[in-house]
Amino acid sequence: MKNIIIVLIILIGTKLSIAESLEEKGYNIAKSSYESGRGFTDMISDQLMILIDPKGNKVTREISAKSLENLDPYDGDKNITYFETPKDVEGTVMLSHTHINEDDDQWLYLPALTRVKRISSSNKSGSFMGSEVAFEDFSAGDYRKYKWKYIGEEMYEGDLCYVLESYPTYENSGYTKRVGLTDELLRARKIDFYDRKGELLKTVFFEDYNLYGDKIWMADSMKVENHQNKNATIFQWQNRKLNVGLDKKDFEKSSLMRLAD
Amino acid sequence: MNFENRIENFAITILNHRIKVVFSAIILIILISSGIRFLETPSGYRGFVQDDFKYYQDILELEEKYGNIDVLTYVIKPNKGDIFQKNVLKLIDELTEASWQTPYSSRVSSITNHQFTEVDGDDISIDNFIINVDGLTEENLSNLRELAKKEDSIVNFVMSESTNVGLININLEMPEDIAFKKPIDFAWNQKMIFEKKYPEIFVGVAGSAQFSHNFQSVAEADASKMYPGFLLLIIILTYLLLRSVMSSLIALLVIIFSILPSLGSAGWFGFEAQPPLIAAPIIILTISLAHAIHMLSIALTNMNEGMSKNDAIIDSLKINFTPIFLTSFTTGVGIAGLNFGDIPAYSEMANTVAVGAAFGFILSVTLLPALFSLLPIKSNYKESRMLFFLKKLASLIYKFKERFVIIISLICIYVFSLLPNLYFDDYFGSYFDRVPEWVEVKDIVDPEFGSSFFTFADIETNEPNGITNPEYLNKLDEFEKWLVQQESVADVSTVSDVVKNLHKNMNGGLEEYYKIPDNKALIAQYFLMYEFSVPYGMDLKNQMTADKSSSRMLIRTNYSTAIETVAFNKEVNLWIENNLKPFKTKGVAGIPIMMPHLFTENTNGLLLGLLFSFSFIILVVGLSLRSLRYGIISVIPNVVPFILGFGILTLFTDMVTASHQVAVLISIGLVVDATIHFLSKYQKAISMKLKADEAIQYCFKYVGYPIIIASICLFSGFIFLTQSLFFNNFVIGGMCAIIIIIALLIDLLLLPALLLIFGKKA
Repeated sequence: MKNIIIVLIILIGTKLSIAESLEEKGYNIAKSSYESGRGFTDMISDQLMILIDPKGNKVTREISAKSLENLDPYDGDKNITYFETPKDVEGTVMLSHTHINEDDDQWLYLPALTRVKRISSSNKSGSFMGSEVAFEDFSAGDYRKYKWKYIGEEMYEGDLCYVLESYPTYENSGYTKRVGLTDELLRARKIDFYDRKGELLKTVFFEDYNLYGDKIWMADSMKVENHQNKNATIFQWQNRKLNVGLDKKDFEKSSLMRLAD
Repeated sequence: MNFENRIENFAITILNHRIKVVFSAIILIILISSGIRFLETPSGYRGFVQDDFKYYQDILELEEKYGNIDVLTYVIKPNKGDIFQKNVLKLIDELTEASWQTPYSSRVSSITNHQFTEVDGDDISIDNFIINVDGLTEENLSNLRELAKKEDSIVNFVMSESTNVGLININLEMPEDIAFKKPIDFAWNQKMIFEKKYPEIFVGVAGSAQFSHNFQSVAEADASKMYPGFLLLIIILTYLLLRSVMSSLIALLVIIFSILPSLGSAGWFGFEAQPPLIAAPIIILTISLAHAIHMLSIALTNMNEGMSKNDAIIDSLKINFTPIFLTSFTTGVGIAGLNFGDIPAYSEMANTVAVGAAFGFILSVTLLPALFSLLPIKSNYKESRMLFFLKKLASLIYKFKERFVIIISLICIYVFSLLPNLYFDDYFGSYFDRVPEWVEVKDIVDPEFGSSFFTFADIETNEPNGITNPEYLNKLDEFEKWLVQQESVADVSTVSDVVKNLHKNMNGGLEEYYKIPDNKALIAQYFLMYEFSVPYGMDLKNQMTADKSSSRMLIRTNYSTAIETVAFNKEVNLWIENNLKPFKTKGVAGIPIMMPHLFTENTNGLLLGLLFSFSFIILVVGLSLRSLRYGIISVIPNVVPFILGFGILTLFTDMVTASHQVAVLISIGLVVDATIHFLSKYQKAISMKLKADEAIQYCFKYVGYPIIIASICLFSGFIFLTQSLFFNNFVIGGMCAIIIIIALLIDLLLLPALLLIFGKKA
């Protein structure tokens, strides 16, 4: 009798551990994937954002950006975005200190106002500059913002990929679920986003992967297709350079203030 | 071989092959009726207009640029007090959250998730207008009330000015050709859940999505509630009139077999089951019922007089063949005049009825005699007291013929003098005034918000980023100021409101900065800032194009009639022409603009249809009588019922809508029917060398009873149609019923008197 109970406990235990391991496996892949993209210290790039409406009309916006890696596992990176086109917004600068499960700090320098404004908004699930990308999508790969589940494997464009489901853990997300494909090089290839009512909203394709510093794969193109409003957005990274030795002080509010003087 | 002999041969052939006739008819009917499954679910107001209709094209163009215009709205009104009470805000907050689950929803706006900007020097924080409802104190609530009243984008959008009513607006991004059933069912389910949880607060469902869905739900409700009762009515009516169970059964079969294949044909043609189509079976039914009664009553009378069953029905067919054909034909032609209109739903209904009229005729002269011959029928048919009464009436008319003509003429002249008061107009707000749930919400929304419909204007600059130009924004402001002064307009919101608000917030929240800054770059930077601090479904994409070359104005209109709307539209276009330069717009577009124009244009088309149907039918009647004199006499009893009918209408309203015209087109073919019967019998009597008074007696004896019976059938049919939840069907039913009854009176009272005075004497 005693033995039977022990066998049962072991059986239930393995059952549980299998169930758990799906989540764990998903989490581990996501974590490894995220970490494989880390170690860039800092980065500069030019970005091209192309908005495409259902009729095929295109609008292009140009941005250049600087990032500073934050190695603190409980906090996010710091970013500066310089807006270049359209001409009217030239010189507008945004500094953001991202955080994991709390609101980002965000400062904005408006040259026409010659002032720096601190913007706090608890809710950034909206469209970024009229595109199909939401602010929250820029940290789509951050494993710490989601709960994960490993679903299986699938061939995608000739590569074997892990299928991972993830669920946002922060309030105010515009999504309920994401289903992503991550290849064996731990590169995210494609993510389906499901909206608040659980319907497929959009698909993001990560393309044009390049190896930077001989160790970090980065997608230099991101294509977003909105299935509901039939709009699309393409992001392209150009002149991307890693580990260029940026000054940490540039990423403080004071450096932005200097612009206003 | 003359015509009567041919009919007789035809009848004998039918009876000789009666089993074949019955079976082939049934098989054919089943085949054609199987098309019913292809009847399309109504696609709401969009199915009501033709795709190439200008004002619909305007909407489609607008949607291509800014997304779907359809909105599902919850109306929230506490039984006591305004919305600034904890439980009301809690309801709104919870329902707002739940609304994101609405099928096809793309954005949800309410007072709770309204993005409110708080300014503290250079610190700007943007958050939901109402957070943590449970923690609100009385003081918080009254502060929020004051803040909300000052916020342009709250008042008249998610809250009424009086603060008594709150709205939750859900924008729907409907895939093409998908009905609103799913989001509406979802919304009604939420309404029930929330009303149960908060019994002291009313929750209603409104908006263009509900309006559109009404077309479907009303059609369904009418079909399921009206038809069974109507079927019962025919059974009772046929039994009362024929006093024979088997004969009633035959009538019932002929009626059902006329309706099913016509609906089947409608399915094969790909028609939509819009509310007007609901009227089609009822109209077909009344026509077929009249046919069957004519055929059967004479056959049964013949049997009473000792004829064999087969001879009785052959004789009845001989007598009725031509009138039945003419009734079917004139009804078909009359109603086909609806094809001159601009509303597919009405043309589809008309064509279904025309097909049904054809089936009614064919079955009445084939299936009906075959069944009559096959089934065991005993005649209990007694000559009613009706004949005695008709005899009395005939002699009364003979005695006082001049007085009859004079009195009726005087009535006509009086009524005629009322007609100039009538005017053509339409009021699309009234379509669903017979749907209690819709009216309940409408009665709350309309006084507070004007209506739950939006009108839009796409204002173009023709250059990328042109909308950040202060000149453009000031122009929008000017347009808005002019618009709000118009009677048709309840509220306007534009992107210049957004800019003013941003300018104020970027300048320490000072009221004096609530204006459009004179700096294009600054405005562009404001928009940029706004664009990356908004939550999901709150962006400006539905207000401006991606290249910022044009923006969309949102105009909440009051309910207006077609005339008012057309006038308003003209005024707007004039203002645009004189003032909007250098910017461009195609003018205002939206449901409140489209529907009235649809009916104005439809009215013009229908007038042409009326002219066509009327003259064609008058011509047919004249030709069938083969006499100019009788042709002219026939015009009077065919026209007078319409004059009197519209005279009676003035007692209720002076507004003549498309529905009244539709009623004329439906009834014209039915009205002439009785006249043809009466005049042809009179001609026959005269040719039999009967004296005038005897000729009238002859007419009353042979056609008086059938005319009365047919009119009763038609009248009851149309009275039944007034039970429809669709207001237009109610009007059509009522109007037709009035016209049919007047026509009966005219045929019994005026026509004989006229014939006595102006008819040929033997």
